[in-house]
Amino acid sequence: MAKVRIENLKKYFGSVKALNGIDIEIKDGKFVVLLGPSGCGKTTLLRCISGLEKVTEGKIFFDSTDVTNLPPKSRNVSMVFQSYAVWPHMKVYENIAYPMKIKGYDKNKIEEKVLWAAKTLNISELLDRYPAQLSGGQRQRVAVARAIVLEPEVLLMDEPLSNLDALLRVSMRSELKKLQERLGTTTIYVTHDQVEAMTMGDEIAVMQNGVIQQYGTPEEIYHKPANVFVAGFIGSPQMNFMEVQILKEKNELFLRNESLNIRLTDDLKTELGNKIQNKNDVFILGIRPENIHKEKTDISKFEPIEGKVYFIERLGSDTIVHLEFKGTRIVSKLPGDVKINEGESLKMYIDLSKIHVFSKIDGKALI
Amino acid sequence: MIKKIFIIFVSILIILWFLTPVFLIVLASLTPSEDYYDQQRILPKRLTFDHLYKLFVVLDGWRATLNSLQVAAMAIGLSFLVGLPAGYVLTRYVFPGKNAIRLSILLTRSFPTLIIAVPLIMIYLRLGIGDTLFSVALAHTSFILPFVVLITTSILSGISVEYEEAGMIFGLSRIGAFMKITLPLALPGLAASAIFAFIMSWNEVFISSVLTFVNRTLPAQILNTAMTSPDYFKFAAGTVMAIPAMVFIFFTRKYLMSMWGISLK
Repeated sequence: MAKVRIENLKKYFGSVKALNGIDIEIKDGKFVVLLGPSGCGKTTLLRCISGLEKVTEGKIFFDSTDVTNLPPKSRNVSMVFQSYAVWPHMKVYENIAYPMKIKGYDKNKIEEKVLWAAKTLNISELLDRYPAQLSGGQRQRVAVARAIVLEPEVLLMDEPLSNLDALLRVSMRSELKKLQERLGTTTIYVTHDQVEAMTMGDEIAVMQNGVIQQYGTPEEIYHKPANVFVAGFIGSPQMNFMEVQILKEKNELFLRNESLNIRLTDDLKTELGNKIQNKNDVFILGIRPENIHKEKTDISKFEPIEGKVYFIERLGSDTIVHLEFKGTRIVSKLPGDVKINEGESLKMYIDLSKIHVFSKIDGKALI
Repeated sequence: MIKKIFIIFVSILIILWFLTPVFLIVLASLTPSEDYYDQQRILPKRLTFDHLYKLFVVLDGWRATLNSLQVAAMAIGLSFLVGLPAGYVLTRYVFPGKNAIRLSILLTRSFPTLIIAVPLIMIYLRLGIGDTLFSVALAHTSFILPFVVLITTSILSGISVEYEEAGMIFGLSRIGAFMKITLPLALPGLAASAIFAFIMSWNEVFISSVLTFVNRTLPAQILNTAMTSPDYFKFAAGTVMAIPAMVFIFFTRKYLMSMWGISLK
């Protein structure tokens, strides 16, 4: 178990900047998820931490040890690969035992630990089989057993669930998370699946273009996105974005465009007031679909919008309503049992305590 | 049904087309000389190993066979010593000029052996390895090596790099991961390509004949002795040349097919 600290890490493949200045500190025993779209550099970052990829610039520390230039075998890391990489020419037992055999453990110790790992992952009865005789889910368990058997300081997982079917993926999610809690191993987990990230991670690092866009708990990432990218990437359906200008009239602040004119609540006014320099700047208003309701309550202030229902997705538990509102489409997430028909006109309410405002220039969140 | 019969019929035709000459060669090599020259007779009255015996013992065929085996072993050894790492690099690494190397790797085959034969002899004489088996092995390596590189490239690219990386994560060095993980997985394919290389060397006549005088390989020896002998000796020589190659190919045909990217269920 170790703390992982990464300082100004850069990795270039020729002229492609896969990682462009990564700074992150992962606390001991945490389950950290690297989340981002394809090509954002998350797997490259994981491979740099494992030592499989040489870094171009920057440093990686496990606790206070500089591991930047150590080969993988000297780092005391383990990895679960996307394809599992369970060696096909060895039986399950040999696969799990092999890391210890290389390190020269004695036979009894190896057997004891293999049996422990196999029991932990519920694969005790598979030890005598070859990987080709196993299902995908079983192979996955073998890969995890092999990864935990040496009790590594850092456990790395590269999209380990992406090759499993949907049901198995959900059950493996909780199982892996519980296993990590029990072992207390610092774990870094790469995925492009935001649900996986939100449910499994103690902390999430959202990445894009080789840079960490935001690092925080799932709650922070969801409720306080640092910029437009994070706000748009996390959450399904996606956050609604609209361009607005911020106007000051008689000591009040208004978010205004052709279709909206929202007077900000006092809390937001003070929060936003200090951050606005040029009043001709364009800003981006972000509203999550679940913060647009069909009825208003007294708990917070609401802004009404009225439009025609363009399209309805009935998902059973939820109903996704696409509302045509003065030339733009606004998506709202309502309970599953609402009675709405396509084509009818509908009045909805934006919860003003939950809105986000981003700068259009650099995308950074203002509130 | 008709389709099935048709397929069987065509298959038989193809088999006859390929096996009839082989059968006739083997038969002629076992035919006693008086039956062979009897115009009234197609099939011999009895079979004899006389010609084969004479070819091997009297005409020094056994020594030539040993020479051929040695040359093939050296050529295979050299080809894999260089070709395996080359194939590995071409599979696992990205570097400038990679595609150019891949494309030009067969270029050595574009020089007719006839043209390079005399310069080759001169160089060998200067190096003091003229008329040695090693010199023939070197020449054979020059045309086996490109195939070994291409074949190992295709075999290694069929083995996921993640197996090797897992080995490196769990305690092996890069070389260790190659030796302990990748090589065992590649072994069936590599064995097949070794046998293919063996056959290339075994069957090669021209270079061997030109480069050697005393230490002749089997094909060179046959060319020099049996070809001036009666016909049944020629057939005996043909049998000796063809059978080992056919047997090897028979046992490794599955891997040979997959090695060239053709699957045979």
